[in-house]
Amino acid sequence: MISGERTREILKGLHDAVVSFDEDRAAQLSQSALNEGVDPYIAVVDGLADGMREVGDLYERKVYFVPELLLCGDALYAGLNILRPAIVASGREARVRGSLVIGVMEGDIHDIGKNLVKVMFEAAGWTIHDLGRDVKPERFVEELARTNSEIVALSTLMTTSMLGMPKVIGMIRDQTPRVRIMVGGAPLNRDVAVKYGADGYADNASGAVAEATRLVEALRQH
Amino acid sequence: MGLKPDRMSRDERMVALLKRQPLDRIPVFGFLLGFPAVNVGYAIADMYSDPQKAFDAMQWTTDQYGFQDIPWVSWSPRAEVEMPTGEYSQAPIVSRYPVTTEEEAWRLEMTVKREDGRATMKCAKLVEAAGGSFIDFPVATFTYAAGFCGVERLCRWAVRRPELAHRLLGLATRAGVQRVRHWVDTFGPERLLPFTAEPTASNQIISPKQFQEFVLPYIKELHEQMLSMGIKHILCHICGEQNLNLPYWAQVPMGDPGIVSFGHEVDIDVASRYFPDDIIMGNVEPAVIQTGRPEQVYELTRMCIEKGRKHPGGFMLAPGCELPPKSPPYNVWTMIKAVSDFGWYD
Repeated sequence: MISGERTREILKGLHDAVVSFDEDRAAQLSQSALNEGVDPYIAVVDGLADGMREVGDLYERKVYFVPELLLCGDALYAGLNILRPAIVASGREARVRGSLVIGVMEGDIHDIGKNLVKVMFEAAGWTIHDLGRDVKPERFVEELARTNSEIVALSTLMTTSMLGMPKVIGMIRDQTPRVRIMVGGAPLNRDVAVKYGADGYADNASGAVAEATRLVEALRQH
Repeated sequence: MGLKPDRMSRDERMVALLKRQPLDRIPVFGFLLGFPAVNVGYAIADMYSDPQKAFDAMQWTTDQYGFQDIPWVSWSPRAEVEMPTGEYSQAPIVSRYPVTTEEEAWRLEMTVKREDGRATMKCAKLVEAAGGSFIDFPVATFTYAAGFCGVERLCRWAVRRPELAHRLLGLATRAGVQRVRHWVDTFGPERLLPFTAEPTASNQIISPKQFQEFVLPYIKELHEQMLSMGIKHILCHICGEQNLNLPYWAQVPMGDPGIVSFGHEVDIDVASRYFPDDIIMGNVEPAVIQTGRPEQVYELTRMCIEKGRKHPGGFMLAPGCELPPKSPPYNVWTMIKAVSDFGWYD
């Protein structure tokens, strides 16, 4: 039986490995967690994901920028790749916050923003269905139907590609009316999001998780 | 509803602006890339691949709106790209980067060939043949280096393998300088108005510290080299959110004067403090021109004019980045209407 002190040491180590974007350390400590009997779900939530929360805070305070976020994401995934199979194998139902379909609009290949949003959702315990970039409108609808997700997040950097958003939103409303739709990307703002018929908007990756959480909680109350 | 008649030709206005002489009204730069194609019924891809169509579309559109833009092909890519053909496509997209591994980055060598056969140069020769006073062409460093390997890889290497990032930046800068030399050899330096833009260097991507290390030395070298070749003015687009980088940008020589262009994220009053002697250009929010109501565009333009006209180095109104190709023409005209209503100097 692993001691409480050692558990806390491993969890803090996982947290710090993510914050200091130490991929090797994240992988090594994730393996130690498994070897020494730390609940892998706890290791994810109170170790890796907790680190990612601090990363989000550092990003909002303009201490970290995209390069650091990308590398923190690498460290997060290095740990998740080891811990997630163990969670599945244990048969334990991890508490999933929600299910999200995400993609970059048709005509646009700029996917850094989408990838950062994805990392933050992963860390927050969401199930992600990533359609990638230059995604045709019907793919969003198909994926929502296939996965029964509650939220769809549409991303774009280009002003021309953002013009496709009302069409995609309309298609989603027609096919899957219970889904809540978020938009994001440099040329967008909350006014445009409302104008386009979206339910939510965020101007950064951390804010996207908070916005989606708000939307999904409201959805579940109906 | 009409516009007051201009008292200077567009050419006279641009020359006077750069000589710091009196102007009839605030000049307007349309920041034209794909919009002229939509405006005249061509494909956006033509603006990147067909010099004659690009030239014609730019000429007609600048004539129509009174924009100061110089016809150009803004990007004639060497990498494997897909041209913008879809309903929601705006610009060419790189489909395969030449560098995907560290080994490839170490091996990469740049051989800059003369550009006579390329669309950018062919369009510039059409401008020259038409007697244009200025010839515009694009050049960059950090953003160009990101074109070798992709932005994410360059970001990761800037932290993990800084020596590799510096290598790519050195290559990009040397290639840029060689390209400029070819253009100077072809057209002479006096008429050249190089356009530098660094969207990838914005604080939406990198930190000011990373800017200081990975952008400043290279863009400074590029600008210094261009000016040492006899180029008088550089049009530098400081794209996106760059407020934290401004102290560094202020160390980059822009010409005498340079034209320094800002996105809507940078307040014109702030820009004015950092570049008191250069011409400030900007910064109507492009997304508002595309999706806003005419009265919003009119008001934003009026506010830009009120701030910009106080700038001692001169001011040219423009969208904060590319004029969205599918902007409603009425919104574009509304910008011009606001200049006609508020932009006269006497």
